[in-house]
Amino acid sequence: MNGMNDQQFHDLAMKVIARQATEAERAELDSLLTGNPELKAEFERLRADVRIGMELLPVVAATEATAPEFPAYAGERLQTKVRQTLGANPQLAKEAESARGWAWRLWLGLATVTAVIVTLLIPSLVRPPTALIQVAMLDTTGATRGDATNEVAVLQEMWQKSTVQNFTGNAELEAWEKAWPSETQRSAAKIVYDRAAGEVRVSVRRQKEIIQKSFTLERDLTAALKQAKAFIDEQTTR
Amino acid sequence: MSPPDLRLLRCGDTEAWDEAFRWLWPVAFAVAELKLAHFLPGDVEDVAIETLEEIVDKMREVKCVEELKPLAASIAHNLAVSRLRERFAKKRGAGQTESLEALQSDGSDSDELAEDVSPLAALEQTELADLLAVVQSELNADQRALLGDFFLRGLSYEEIGRKHGLAIGTVGVYLKRGLEAIRKLGARHPKLMKEVEAFLR
Repeated sequence: MNGMNDQQFHDLAMKVIARQATEAERAELDSLLTGNPELKAEFERLRADVRIGMELLPVVAATEATAPEFPAYAGERLQTKVRQTLGANPQLAKEAESARGWAWRLWLGLATVTAVIVTLLIPSLVRPPTALIQVAMLDTTGATRGDATNEVAVLQEMWQKSTVQNFTGNAELEAWEKAWPSETQRSAAKIVYDRAAGEVRVSVRRQKEIIQKSFTLERDLTAALKQAKAFIDEQTTR
Repeated sequence: MSPPDLRLLRCGDTEAWDEAFRWLWPVAFAVAELKLAHFLPGDVEDVAIETLEEIVDKMREVKCVEELKPLAASIAHNLAVSRLRERFAKKRGAGQTESLEALQSDGSDSDELAEDVSPLAALEQTELADLLAVVQSELNADQRALLGDFFLRGLSYEEIGRKHGLAIGTVGVYLKRGLEAIRKLGARHPKLMKEVEAFLR
């Protein structure tokens, strides 16, 4: 192609077809086409492609038009045409009406289901975070005894995420009981198992209020702890 | 504006048709205006209305709502071309019909008239509607804009490069690819190719 690659030939041909070529460019193309029927045929094909594109592109662009607005005066004439052509089909109309009715029913049904789901979900979504639990055991007789060790395990089993603190003196315990976590938005509970008194004392902090309750070991520690746990759950999920 | 419900249209639902007319009007009007603005501007609205009437007639043949806009464009195009031919025939004397080639070789304003008649008129309505839909899907908006800038608006490679933020070399490559896509589409429509070749002779 006289040292010219495919793209260069294309660019030159485009300029000539679009009448943007200089005399020199036009002459260059002429000399390329002279005596080269293959290239001449390609040039003619390009002219045809351009012509098709020039015809199609404006129509395609018009197909995407969004203005002007439909003139009101044409409405009646066109609706008359619709009635004459398609209007006399009660069976189809009934089916369409029915389809429309079903569509409405479907939407209403979906709306109802959505409302129910939202109603059920809201409490779980707005539920406050779980209470912070702190557990301690007061054993004034010392923590080395086997029974006490077992009881620590029972306490630990009930509140697995908490570490059981072991106190041997009341002073230490009182200090611990007064030291509430600084995270005031979250409810908290302190559970103290007083071995000597045979009771489980529970203090629940809900907002700024402290609620206390004691559970005596009537049967065994596990039963009392379960009661304590139920009380905490009740207080912190209100 | 969302497309109308085809089932409701088929059974003549008034509301659905109102919606369809509002949705299709801009297309019918734009195509009619494209063909008639130069010679018969007063006929544009008439052709757009006739287009929508013909859409009503063809409703039972339409398979999906996406076909409606290309079909409206195709109908409007061919109705507009018919009007141009009628006008030319009247000018030439009642009862005479002219080929597109004759229009082209006539001289005076008939050359321009022939330009407006277009080789697309060689296609059947549905064939043209299909072709328009395929061009929309196979040539993306950027390619169409680039081709339009060069061939319809007469911008140079440099001007197109500046407008679209492209290197001059890239403009040429994009134009080449766009035309290759058009060539493939044209090859599927031998009647159109024949008409175009006749135009270019």
